[in-house]
Amino acid sequence: MKKTKLILLAGLAMAVSMTGCQKKEVKPGDVAGYDEGEQYLSIWVHSIEDTPEGQVYRESVDRFNEKYNGKYFADIEFIPRNDSGGGYSDKVNSSVLSGGLPDVLTLDGPNVAAYAENGIIQPLADLTEEERGEYLESILEQGTYDDKLYALGVMESSVGLYYNKDILEEAGIEVPDADHPWTRTEFMDILAKLKPIMDEKKGYPIDMTFPVGEASIYYYAPFIWANGGNLVSDDGMTVDGYFNSEKNVEVMNYFHQIVENKYMSEAPVEKLFESGRAAFKFDGAWEVNTIYENYPDVNLGVAPYVVGDDWDGERYTPTGSWAFAASSATDNIEGATELVKWMSGVESGVRIWNEAKSLPSTYKAFDQIDIFQTDENYKALYEQLSKYGHPRPKTPVYPQVSTSFQQALESVGLGGKDAQTELDKSVERINAKLERYTRE
Amino acid sequence: MKKKESILGMAFFGPALVLLILFLFLPMVLTLVFSFTDYFALNPDMTHFVGLENYINIFKDELFVKSFFNTVKFVIIIVPCQCIGALVLALAINKVTHCKKYFKVAFFIPVVMSLAVVSTLWMDIYSPEGILNTMLAHLGISAQPFIHSAKQALPSIAVMSVWQGVGYQMIIFLGGLQNINPALYEAAEMDHASGWQKFKDITLPELKPLCVFVFITVTIGAFRMLVQPMVMTGGGPDHSTYTLVYDIYETGTMNWEMGLASTMAIVFTVFVVVLTIIQNVLTKGKEEKKHVNKKAKNI
Repeated sequence: MKKTKLILLAGLAMAVSMTGCQKKEVKPGDVAGYDEGEQYLSIWVHSIEDTPEGQVYRESVDRFNEKYNGKYFADIEFIPRNDSGGGYSDKVNSSVLSGGLPDVLTLDGPNVAAYAENGIIQPLADLTEEERGEYLESILEQGTYDDKLYALGVMESSVGLYYNKDILEEAGIEVPDADHPWTRTEFMDILAKLKPIMDEKKGYPIDMTFPVGEASIYYYAPFIWANGGNLVSDDGMTVDGYFNSEKNVEVMNYFHQIVENKYMSEAPVEKLFESGRAAFKFDGAWEVNTIYENYPDVNLGVAPYVVGDDWDGERYTPTGSWAFAASSATDNIEGATELVKWMSGVESGVRIWNEAKSLPSTYKAFDQIDIFQTDENYKALYEQLSKYGHPRPKTPVYPQVSTSFQQALESVGLGGKDAQTELDKSVERINAKLERYTRE
Repeated sequence: MKKKESILGMAFFGPALVLLILFLFLPMVLTLVFSFTDYFALNPDMTHFVGLENYINIFKDELFVKSFFNTVKFVIIIVPCQCIGALVLALAINKVTHCKKYFKVAFFIPVVMSLAVVSTLWMDIYSPEGILNTMLAHLGISAQPFIHSAKQALPSIAVMSVWQGVGYQMIIFLGGLQNINPALYEAAEMDHASGWQKFKDITLPELKPLCVFVFITVTIGAFRMLVQPMVMTGGGPDHSTYTLVYDIYETGTMNWEMGLASTMAIVFTVFVVVLTIIQNVLTKGKEEKKHVNKKAKNI
């Protein structure tokens, strides 16, 4: 065992010394703005500096350095992440092995559990009640693992069940308010009612797909939560009896029914909703801006996410995004926490909306942005997020849970395979990954 | 003199050698070592030797087995199509008298283009309302799902890959064709050889060494299939286009299971190497025999 580590280290030490990604001792004066007497804080972010998002981080760090001049100095490094998730995470992974993690780093919300469980990040210093109260419930929930707060994000996200007002009016369908969403049964009836109308328009009642990647669990796991089901146990260590529960079988079969009745297209059709050939569509909050900017002919509305027939007001709608956390390598947890708070705070939140059109994560930021008060669709998304937002499953084997969910959805929904068998298979696969954490 | 030469040689070779050792040989050895461990990228301190456990587990893993057979399917479709396609194109272009350059460039362009770009382009071509389906509709054929169906996705991607890669092998064959001594054809014509006879008895034997090269490189290329399914289908639908390299990538970087991914990489490498050796032996064996035959005839 020791030998493996030695070989591992020898190999990496060589590579590391060549590429120079070892943690550098930075002295005052080495970086512009870092003065004597200031505490140095390094921060890694996952975006490209020249993008709007990158500019927001740069700007926030600059403002932090102004505000804490004489006390802290934050030094930001941009490590782009490619579409498939490599790049940034490769750098984090190799730094875990070779040392050289920064004081603060960004991570995707669902990865908080894995990073915490493997000791890559450490809990933040205590926040006051007031400080905590600034953040949306969902962002605190996402950053908490094992009852400790690890991460705070500047961005939140949401998915809307968008509808075409003109089509629904034509069909004589009333849309309920956020506190009284359609139940699954009601929604299926609505789709049935829309079917002949949409056939005439050469379209489908709903524009949806079960894409490979993160989108599937993000969009459709709410059906599980709103049905009283769950994907993992509360401690994130058990899936048997959760992932493959009867409740979840119901949801999987529901999706198959939608496909079978041809309420959705089996193969994705480009711009189905945008071209007025679908009455409904699930998509991220960014879709509102897309429609406003590029498809002004579509009369857009946001309906509340569909719930299970026995739903009782529980939180269930999609949330989550990248967040800031203090790495286990930092010995300045107070400073790192200050930086995390600042980067995710109100001012940064307003900026992330203005520049990158990502939803902010604090109540005050939403209050300061007019459009969330004046535009009914944005208002609806905000209301859904703040009142009913539910984070994705918190478990160190999240990647496996996410891919398994998508696979099950695809093989049951599209392939028509037996839901119980597929979910049981997923449980077996996830259990194999959980072994690493449960065997000790 | 000899010593001096070897010192000079080392001076030229040294820098390359250091880089090769560092970035090629060392990683190869490390991969082999990792393949016997449960190395987890997020927690390298917990690494244990697990012996052959990984090797046993991957063959029990349905997904790995599926990705293995998917890869084999890709190879079976792509290798003959691309090799024969390249040869046919080369022969055709060799015959063309006008705009030869244009055709050469036209068929070669996809090779130059980034795979990601080509893949995105073909997603449009294959889309339910894309060019291909529109053309089919004109022929009275109903719309095909192509990459959105578990049955058609793999052949669709294979066809696209052949289209993308065939230009490269075509250029190689073209070079070979132009190197054939025209006197051979002249002689054949005097003997009233038919076109087919000329092709069978002159062109093919002359291109033989190139054929072997093309065959082996196309095979290895097909085994490494990754970008096309990654961009176009994400390995779906229902994992019908999930390939070995894709599985290695996902296991290693997305699920952080470096040990397991290393095992897969080793199994993959061994398989490809063995196959290449077999190919080599088979093709070489024939050549040598022919040589012997020729010699025998000469005597």
